[in-house]
Amino acid sequence: MNATRREFLKYSVATGGLVSWGMTVPTFLSRTALAAPFADKKGAKDTILVVVQLTGGNDGLNTVVPFADPEYAKLRPTLKLPKDQLKKVNDQIGLHPSLEGLAKLLQDQSLCIVQGVGYPNPDQSHFRSMDIWQAGSTAASASEGWLGRALKQLPNPPAFHVAGPNQASPLALAGAPVRVPSIAALEDFQLRTSSTSGGVEKKEQRALMEGAALPKASKSPGLLDFVQRTAVNTYASSQRLQEIGKNYQPKAPYPNVPLANHLKLAAQLIDADLGARIFYVSIDGFDTHANQLNSHSNLLRQLSDSMTAFYQDISARGHKDRLLMMTFSEFGRRPYENGSQGTDHGAAAPMFLVGSKIKAGAVGRHPSLTDHNFGNLKHSMDFRQVYAAILDKWLGVSSKEVLGQTFEHAAIWKS
Amino acid sequence: MAEIDPHWAWEPYKPSSESPWDLRKVGHLYRRAGFSAKWTELEAGVKAGPDETIDLLLKGGPGEESFESLRRSLAKSAILSNDDQQLRAGWLYWMLYSRHPLREKLTLFWHNHFATSNSKVQNVSFMLGQYELMQRYALGSFRDLLDQMSKDPAMMVWLDTRESKKGKPNENYAREVMELFSLGIGHYTEKDIREAARAFTGWDIDDGKAVFDPNQHDDTEKTVLGRKGKWQGEDIIRICLEQKSCPSFIAGKLFRFLISESIPAAPELLEPLADRFRKSDYDFGMLVETMLRSNLFFSPAAYRTRIKSPVEFVLGIVRPLEGRIGTPALATSLQSLGQDLFHPPSVKGWDGGPAWLNGQTLLLRQNLALALTSTEENRFSRGADPAALVEKLGKQSDQELVDFFLRLFYQDDVPSESRTRLLEYQKKAHGQAKPKHWTDKDAADQRVRTLCHLVLTLPEFQLA
Repeated sequence: MNATRREFLKYSVATGGLVSWGMTVPTFLSRTALAAPFADKKGAKDTILVVVQLTGGNDGLNTVVPFADPEYAKLRPTLKLPKDQLKKVNDQIGLHPSLEGLAKLLQDQSLCIVQGVGYPNPDQSHFRSMDIWQAGSTAASASEGWLGRALKQLPNPPAFHVAGPNQASPLALAGAPVRVPSIAALEDFQLRTSSTSGGVEKKEQRALMEGAALPKASKSPGLLDFVQRTAVNTYASSQRLQEIGKNYQPKAPYPNVPLANHLKLAAQLIDADLGARIFYVSIDGFDTHANQLNSHSNLLRQLSDSMTAFYQDISARGHKDRLLMMTFSEFGRRPYENGSQGTDHGAAAPMFLVGSKIKAGAVGRHPSLTDHNFGNLKHSMDFRQVYAAILDKWLGVSSKEVLGQTFEHAAIWKS
Repeated sequence: MAEIDPHWAWEPYKPSSESPWDLRKVGHLYRRAGFSAKWTELEAGVKAGPDETIDLLLKGGPGEESFESLRRSLAKSAILSNDDQQLRAGWLYWMLYSRHPLREKLTLFWHNHFATSNSKVQNVSFMLGQYELMQRYALGSFRDLLDQMSKDPAMMVWLDTRESKKGKPNENYAREVMELFSLGIGHYTEKDIREAARAFTGWDIDDGKAVFDPNQHDDTEKTVLGRKGKWQGEDIIRICLEQKSCPSFIAGKLFRFLISESIPAAPELLEPLADRFRKSDYDFGMLVETMLRSNLFFSPAAYRTRIKSPVEFVLGIVRPLEGRIGTPALATSLQSLGQDLFHPPSVKGWDGGPAWLNGQTLLLRQNLALALTSTEENRFSRGADPAALVEKLGKQSDQELVDFFLRLFYQDDVPSESRTRLLEYQKKAHGQAKPKHWTDKDAADQRVRTLCHLVLTLPEFQLA
């Protein structure tokens, strides 16, 4: 047993009297070992999933570019990317020039590009479409997310939402047996008390706050109950997280952008050996209705550089084979550009997967540029086919239970 | 929960023996229709009764005119420097010290409705212009507000109307005006959006004002929401306001803001309100007044059924403590709590409700309560000192102090265990050794501050 795990067991015992196990204590505190009930399934033991959300609707056509198709240049008179600057994937498609890092991962057989992903009757509202992707369902309304439901099937499943405080906890994580904590920075993840009169008083202050946070068993679930549960979880987690990684030294240089900072914190939490298996991060700004050439290029560079740094850091720490990263956006954009050098809301778009177990290269077909659905690109792959492959084969949970029906797996794994 | 009778719900509340007018109701009213009450306001409210107290909130107190000139000079300085931070701090200052807090509160409602971010607009003057537009109509006509919003320079940059030209329209504004500003999702089609986008072509900004260029406008026929014509932007707004879904959509949003986040805004419940709103030709002030005076507003069903937004949380500490605090530091702390004024996360605004609270933001709230009330940090220059307030009001004994803070912030409505724990804590605190250079008064003041912080960390404080 390493020092961290020992520390945390000690702490678990120390706070055992706080609340009954399994009810409200954050899962990683009550967790005693990396149990893996689906260990016979590929990668189901100890695997980690990092979801990267591209908020706003990423322009898929300028992310994975069908340069060989003459239609592309016609649809994009001012926004077309020059063929010689693209990072070629094959003789049909190439990656945006900013995706240098991801192109290198492709050479290392660690990048999978799933093409033409979407769902039937695509919705062009940011918020509705994002809900559909996060819920893993096209049902009219959803209160639980696909990862929240997956967490129900995992034994004591730790997860983190790593984000700035202005980013609300995503629907994707809702429905988990214990609320997934959102963390912005470890140094801010602690409960401060008045400190003038020494240690005893501090302890008393903390006890008072913790005592007030205990939900009344008889109370019906309401907002007060919600506040109390959040508080109990948080106070316990904060104590625990103070112990870890005060001096984390990344083993790869991260760019100084918010996404990279969030991924760096995720790397730290992974390396601290808390057993966390699901991480959720996001990057905003993809709603490029006007003058998108520079802003889109800039966003894709942040994405690619951050993901690459994270992958290198995690690999250098020996967790490479445990890691899978997945990107998605609520929709792609209209194939033909508008009059303001931008693009309006669209439909099908590619997803990226990064990891050592994925099938490298392009999977599925690039959407046709001439066969539109009301001006939008048609999907050839349902996003839930990608989710199903990840749920069953990577997290080791039943995709049928999470998604409510069986989806044919997208062919994303190395055979 | 028992079903709520829509007729009863919107009838004016009259105090009765089952539902008396008391401190709790005044506190509730000030949390919803303002930014929490000061001690004097709580006392005055109980004496004045509901009608008069609500009148005061609707009209604003005396002295607002002189405050207005201060407001203008602050605004001018923010524009001259084009400094975001002055803009944020300026608004917080107005919220905190305005004689008409309800108007600022509703401006915040509209800011969340027409959620525009300076991260894209990049122009303090435009943002301030939009703020003033929303403030002017905060209790006025929604029709006029929506109409003028279409030609508001900040909005035109935010949703790309100024980039929208004949032949290749930009759909951004046309979509959100239906989805988020007037009808709600499900009450229009993709085709409506594309046709409406053509009607909004031809606008640009010149010298800080919206200008129309007929050469860039698509003047051909469009069919929007079943109506065919050579529509322009104003026609689309008019057509949206004719839709049945519009008054319900706006009333539903205000319901969540003023009445409750946990009572479902059922169509039957909202219908009488939406009806009156439409018949009044979108008199938003009337809608606000009806809600504030209603039975439902003062019923247990509405009490403590909202999570405080970061602005409500922070001002709910500073205002009751009668703090004089530099608002730039407050604005910065609001950013970390997730409500960065003039920078909503998306055009949908802040999700609000339980989304405000997660592990990180809860810790930041508790730590901010400490920073505001203690002497340990200097960022708020000790401007909201609980020790100064209790000294002014002559509260001294442990019991007096505990009761005063519980009354000020909760109108006594916390579990008796919490009161007992606070009293026990105070007792123990007397036994603590104090640093040598402290006088007895230093130590007593410090106990007051710590006590006030502990009072503010009770879970009930997160609820409005």
